[in-house]
Amino acid sequence: MSLTAFYALAAFTLVFALFAVTTANMVRAAFSLAVTFFLIAGLYLLLGSPALAAVQFMVNASAIPIMTLFIIMMTQSRRSAAPRSWQVGVGFLAAAVALVFFRSAVVHGEGRVAPVSPEALGTNLLQAALLPFEVASVLLLLAMVGAIVLARRRAG
Amino acid sequence: MVTLGHFLLLAGLLMAIGLYGVLTRRNLIAVLMSVEILLNAAALAFASAAAFRDPHLFAGQVFALFIIVVAAAELSIGFAILLNVYRTHGAVSDDAIGEMRG
Repeated sequence: MSLTAFYALAAFTLVFALFAVTTANMVRAAFSLAVTFFLIAGLYLLLGSPALAAVQFMVNASAIPIMTLFIIMMTQSRRSAAPRSWQVGVGFLAAAVALVFFRSAVVHGEGRVAPVSPEALGTNLLQAALLPFEVASVLLLLAMVGAIVLARRRAG
Repeated sequence: MVTLGHFLLLAGLLMAIGLYGVLTRRNLIAVLMSVEILLNAAALAFASAAAFRDPHLFAGQVFALFIIVVAAAELSIGFAILLNVYRTHGAVSDDAIGEMRG
């Protein structure tokens, strides 16, 4: 696994994520979010799990930004107001606290990755993780029905 | 050589960025987008820990997969609620829904 590819992907991921949470233009934020998730799919490829990369590309890098763009247009919120001054302070503080917590998670160790084939992952998903898999499908069905019921215009 | 620490540091930085977005964004759609970044950081941490430590038990990859599923469900419900907020208040910013303030 090459260090150059990791650093390039990581740097662009962070830049686009930062742009997505700071820009006032919501459409640009949604596209920037899509690029962030696309780059994270690349990181999953580096980690040797192409199945996760494919799911990340199809769900997070394609479907979710499209849904976000739809909702941005439907609610006519092209722009996000600038944060209040106390919000910026609280945001920086929380980010710093999160980083301090994560600093202890940075471990040193071997840099060897064993790739996982999509077949093996799928077999495991339908054998060892069968119950969570079914629960997840019920959750998705509930979310779909719930979203339709919530977003439907009331008659009369 | 890329190690697990590199990936965990990246996930931590992504998490900090998402947290900053959740706390500073005033448009509620943008808040949900920041929550998406948080969830993706968590999924990345799970997947990297799985790839470096435990590639044949699949628990990390399966967790990352389920995080993506839950994120999609959460986002669709959240957007449906925001659509109702827009219909009743005419905007989806945080100062449009301040009537619960004491």
